[in-house]
Amino acid sequence: MDPSEVEFLAEKEIVKIIPNFSLDKIYLIGGDLGPFNPGLQVDVPVWLALNLKQRQKCRIVPPEWMDVDKLEEMRDLERREDAFTPVPSPYYMELTKLLLNYASDNIPKADEIRTLVKDIWDTRIAKLRLSADSFISQMEAHAKLDNLTLMEINTIRSFLLDSLNCMYKLRSNLQPGSSKGQLTDY
Amino acid sequence: MPCERKQLRYGHSEGHTEVCFDDSGRFIVTCGSDGDVRIWEGLDDDDPKFITVGEKAYSLALKKGKLVTASSNNTVQIHTFPDGDPDGILTRFTTNATHVTFNSRGTRVAAGSSDFMVKVVEVSDSSQQKTLRGHEAPVLSVTFDPKDEYLATASCDGSVAVWNIEEQTQLISWPLLQKTNDVSNAKSLCRLAWQPGAGKFLAVPVETKVQLYERGSWEHVSTLSDDLLTQTINVVSWSPCGTFLAAGSVGGSLTVWNVDSKLCVERQKHEKGFTVCGLAWHPSGTQMVFTDTEGCLSLLDGLKSSSSNSESAQPTAAKMPAKDYNDLFDDDDDDGGLMDEGLSDTNSPVKKPTTGEDDDDDDDVLMPLTGRVRNRGAILDDENSQGSLRLGLDKFGDGGDDGDDAGSAVGPAAVPAVPLRPVYEGPMPTPPQKAFQPGSTPAHLTHRFMMWNSVGIVRGYNDEQDNAIDVEFHDSAVHHAMHLTNSLGHIMADLSQEAVLLACPSTDELASKLQCLHFSSWDTNKEWMVDLPHGEDARALCLGQGWAAVATSALMLRLFSVGGVQKEVFSLPGGVVCMSGHGEQLLIVYHRATGFDGEQALGVQLLQFGRRKKQLIHGEPLPLSQRSHLSWLGFTAEGTPCYVDSEGVVRMLNRSLGNTWTPVCHTRETCKSKSDHYWVVGVHENPQQLRCIPCKGSRYPPTLPRPAVAILPFKLPLCQTSTEKGQMEEQFLRSLLFHNHYSFLSSSGYEVDEDAQSQSEKERQELLMKMFALSCKLEREFRCVELAEMMTQNVVTLAIRYASRSRRIALAQRLSEIALEKANQIQEEEEEEEQQYSTPTSRYGQSESSGGRYSSRSNQEQEEELREEEEGQELESEESTETRGRVNPFAKEAGSPVKPSLTPIAKLGRSNPFKVQGSGKPSSSPGQPRVTNILDSMTASKKSASLGGPAGKQGKGPVLKPLAPRPKTQKTQSTLQMTKPAGKRTQENTEPPADRQKQPEAPPPASPAENTENQRPKTGFQLWLEENRKSIIADQPDLEETDVIKEAMGRFRTLSAEERLSWTERAKGQRGDAADLKKRKRAEGGGGGGGAGGEGGGENENGHAEADENSAKKKKALDPSSKLSAFAFNKN
Repeated sequence: MDPSEVEFLAEKEIVKIIPNFSLDKIYLIGGDLGPFNPGLQVDVPVWLALNLKQRQKCRIVPPEWMDVDKLEEMRDLERREDAFTPVPSPYYMELTKLLLNYASDNIPKADEIRTLVKDIWDTRIAKLRLSADSFISQMEAHAKLDNLTLMEINTIRSFLLDSLNCMYKLRSNLQPGSSKGQLTDY
Repeated sequence: MPCERKQLRYGHSEGHTEVCFDDSGRFIVTCGSDGDVRIWEGLDDDDPKFITVGEKAYSLALKKGKLVTASSNNTVQIHTFPDGDPDGILTRFTTNATHVTFNSRGTRVAAGSSDFMVKVVEVSDSSQQKTLRGHEAPVLSVTFDPKDEYLATASCDGSVAVWNIEEQTQLISWPLLQKTNDVSNAKSLCRLAWQPGAGKFLAVPVETKVQLYERGSWEHVSTLSDDLLTQTINVVSWSPCGTFLAAGSVGGSLTVWNVDSKLCVERQKHEKGFTVCGLAWHPSGTQMVFTDTEGCLSLLDGLKSSSSNSESAQPTAAKMPAKDYNDLFDDDDDDGGLMDEGLSDTNSPVKKPTTGEDDDDDDDVLMPLTGRVRNRGAILDDENSQGSLRLGLDKFGDGGDDGDDAGSAVGPAAVPAVPLRPVYEGPMPTPPQKAFQPGSTPAHLTHRFMMWNSVGIVRGYNDEQDNAIDVEFHDSAVHHAMHLTNSLGHIMADLSQEAVLLACPSTDELASKLQCLHFSSWDTNKEWMVDLPHGEDARALCLGQGWAAVATSALMLRLFSVGGVQKEVFSLPGGVVCMSGHGEQLLIVYHRATGFDGEQALGVQLLQFGRRKKQLIHGEPLPLSQRSHLSWLGFTAEGTPCYVDSEGVVRMLNRSLGNTWTPVCHTRETCKSKSDHYWVVGVHENPQQLRCIPCKGSRYPPTLPRPAVAILPFKLPLCQTSTEKGQMEEQFLRSLLFHNHYSFLSSSGYEVDEDAQSQSEKERQELLMKMFALSCKLEREFRCVELAEMMTQNVVTLAIRYASRSRRIALAQRLSEIALEKANQIQEEEEEEEQQYSTPTSRYGQSESSGGRYSSRSNQEQEEELREEEEGQELESEESTETRGRVNPFAKEAGSPVKPSLTPIAKLGRSNPFKVQGSGKPSSSPGQPRVTNILDSMTASKKSASLGGPAGKQGKGPVLKPLAPRPKTQKTQSTLQMTKPAGKRTQENTEPPADRQKQPEAPPPASPAENTENQRPKTGFQLWLEENRKSIIADQPDLEETDVIKEAMGRFRTLSAEERLSWTERAKGQRGDAADLKKRKRAEGGGGGGGAGGEGGGENENGHAEADENSAKKKKALDPSSKLSAFAFNKN
């Protein structure tokens, strides 16, 4: 899966915007949106919010969790805990990136938020690597990882699968009496 | 006397806080773990000054204009007060100081620190320090002996010690406390307190008791305790007179003892049970302020303190007259909580009207009250033990007389002399409310909203570097945002679709000015300015459609055209409070008289300009909630006056009940906390929305962060709205109230959203039916009849069926009488109408029609429109009279007499100025191309349904709210058709046919011949459905629209073949009728097509008539199938 595909999925998330135009309900396959009244908050998917924002037709109201205090708390928790902690949104990384890239003027303390989310992300990826490492070094067959987001799984998936395959091959070569495997490998 | 605990308010972020009063008692000063010291001018100060002293502030002390704080950088600093300028560092420790305190004269500061040291420093010369060493753990608190000889300290090592300051030696030490290793772990902060004055006692909080040690002998003399106090006491504080000792505990209890009698005289519990960590008495001894570890700040008001002592000590003879007078008003005072606020307010003539007005809080009673008032309270207290008296107080009252006398030995010295001359004790006049602009925040703020209305936002900045005004429009299509430098110092603003109006008060040299930025002007000069006559100040201003009004301090109202022509000037009966304009209406609220006991006496005038100027409301009193004032005034988007008072009650004008005011919403009811408010910015009747900004802990929002608008529903304060009956009644009444604007709009010549109107009528009838069914179930037949009288004839027949089916024959009979009556009425009306339309059929079944037809039709249609428009002008006058006369039998309200004011209607029908806006384009550039983008071409014309009706999705008719900001009709194609500036004709062609489909109200083309051709005839089933729909609904009221159709299908199939055939026959017959009807109309010169441009012009009126017909019939058929058919269209 491509990161852009994950991002595409993230764009379905709902955010609040404050439009500066008026438009009636629009009827889409995915559901009805609107009506849009200037100055009144309305829920729309991220893709529409960004589109409107880029055309300067709305202001985006940052999601509730996109707040320095809350994120700091989350970051600290994430650092304290050994396991993965629940994230504010299943697409927190994608949303942060999208919203901060296109609507940073509507989000107070955008830079701090960017850093915090990056911190959380780094912590989680480090944990993920660590657990992958211990998973391999202890030769486990199963691992349970809760609270991982799609993007995170996606970052490690190809690498982990490939390397496991590779290691499987190497190991099967090492095992005595598995000459058959050896043969097939060559 | 019961004291009143004021509401909690947020002061600092979570963590340790401290509080004190300044020497005058005017300011409350707090510090907290956010490192700020805040200076509150009374508890209700929404904009406290703050001084940042460090990352954290651990403790503060204030005396003689010096503010001493212990901050996180291990220093004890001085700031000047109230300016807050840094004034040097007093001393340093190796770690942070935990508590600082002044001596009684304010010459020395003692500070205890976590590094086990206590320092005593001269304020004037910080080099003169005395260090007290001896504690073996962080110091918890320090306190000076009032005579400046000793210092008492408490420490985490468990000891409480007394030191001789000069000799720097420890005199005595008591092991009273539990040992801990750090202040943060200590169970109690153990704030010691030395009795002021003689300093006879040192109070030490030890767990749940307070121990008193005698000065000199250092003996434990007594213990103050209270059975109800179960948690560790954190802080103690002496009243200024030294008679009372207050203690605040970990669990949030506040207890006040009379030290002489050792009785508890007051118990209060913290609202949320947070740990009290700061406690201070007002210098007058009537108030006590406290803070907690969550950073909240609150106040106890009305503590008797020393005054009761003085009361009993003084010979009371002199005050007998006053006392008698009090008896007269005992009732008042017994109201307790209700009156508390007013009591302090109205009885304190010293209170200046100016202090509180801007914060619109009249209870700014942090100003010392007169001695008089306090004494009065004390008398009452002694005489009648009120219900709200607490336990301890009773005890005190019974056994405490002697104690009182004893205590008075200390008391009187500290008490202000009691005025002996007789004082007026009757109702006190209320200071009149100041003039304000609705939708603005107080003028003293540096960053404030000067106006927030449905058009946009005007913000004013007035700080050192910048004095500017920002104008921003909600709808960026109205105008782009503007940034103005405010060189004149404007303090008032209003904003409309056409202009920005600003006004500044007069200064010594300059007269008061009115400035208007007329941005919608088509010439190049978009600004004008006018000087008001000398000595006249602008007090309130507003903008309407094409005019601007300003009320001045000379009780004058001046009316300008929006271009700057002076048009009217007249005198107002009283000082203006505020004004609001909408369309041609001007609403003025002014002071009618002086109010008493906290009430305002306001009067209201409603004027209508335009062609026929008239006064609709002639200065009647404006009803307000008790002891409240006006906080917002305005119009709904539909043009109905409404206002909000400081209690949060929204009232709306009920035009159908002789211009009475009906409360439609109580915003405070939805608030979570007592100090939260809703700041109203707009009211909409269709859909029913109250737009407001939730303000946490204040009355108005800050400019940053940008507040978000929330929507509140309306709710009439009817009885028993928890029951089904009450709910339905509320819904019905509300619907009735909120449809008043239709008749108003139509009577004043505006276009009306016929579809929404009939929709709401239908909802009401359904509600009536439900209420009818409910009353039937409850066996309330009389009530049933009452309800039936409100129904239309059709619904009554349903009701009859329901009644007979549920075997209530008597009821059914009565109902049939009513039905007969109604039928007669209708017949009479119809006769009067010269049988203009007997069978309102024609436009049925459009939903079934195919898209291809539409597209093929639209071109013809437009040609026709062009032609007809030309013809129309000659005919429009007679046309309009005729069509106005028609009454829609399906919509009761349409039957309300329409004023036969021929000319205005005809005029408006053609050149209604609002229309242009409605079409969504600035009038200056009619041909402006719209941004072509998917979204824009997706001008889905479906209108948001009115809140209630799931079936109401079909789009709104050609409504135009007179001043609705760029009415949403922007995209309803019908509007374009109705307004038809020639330039837009072309655009219409490009509209996808689906749009057309989605708005069945878009009247079909005019030509009768074409009309009948295109008209897909009704099928027999549809006819049958039409007849029987109501009965199906009556049988199964909870069915969805689609289910109804299904059910109907089933029933239709069960009919015998003959019956079905007869229906089909009837359907065929009707087709003929429709054609006939068309012809007849044409013959009368009316021309058929409404929106498409009736041949005879007067499109609107025709449109109404047509829409009546259409909507009444069509809605039924359309609802279920409109979605499907829309889909089918899109495929084409």
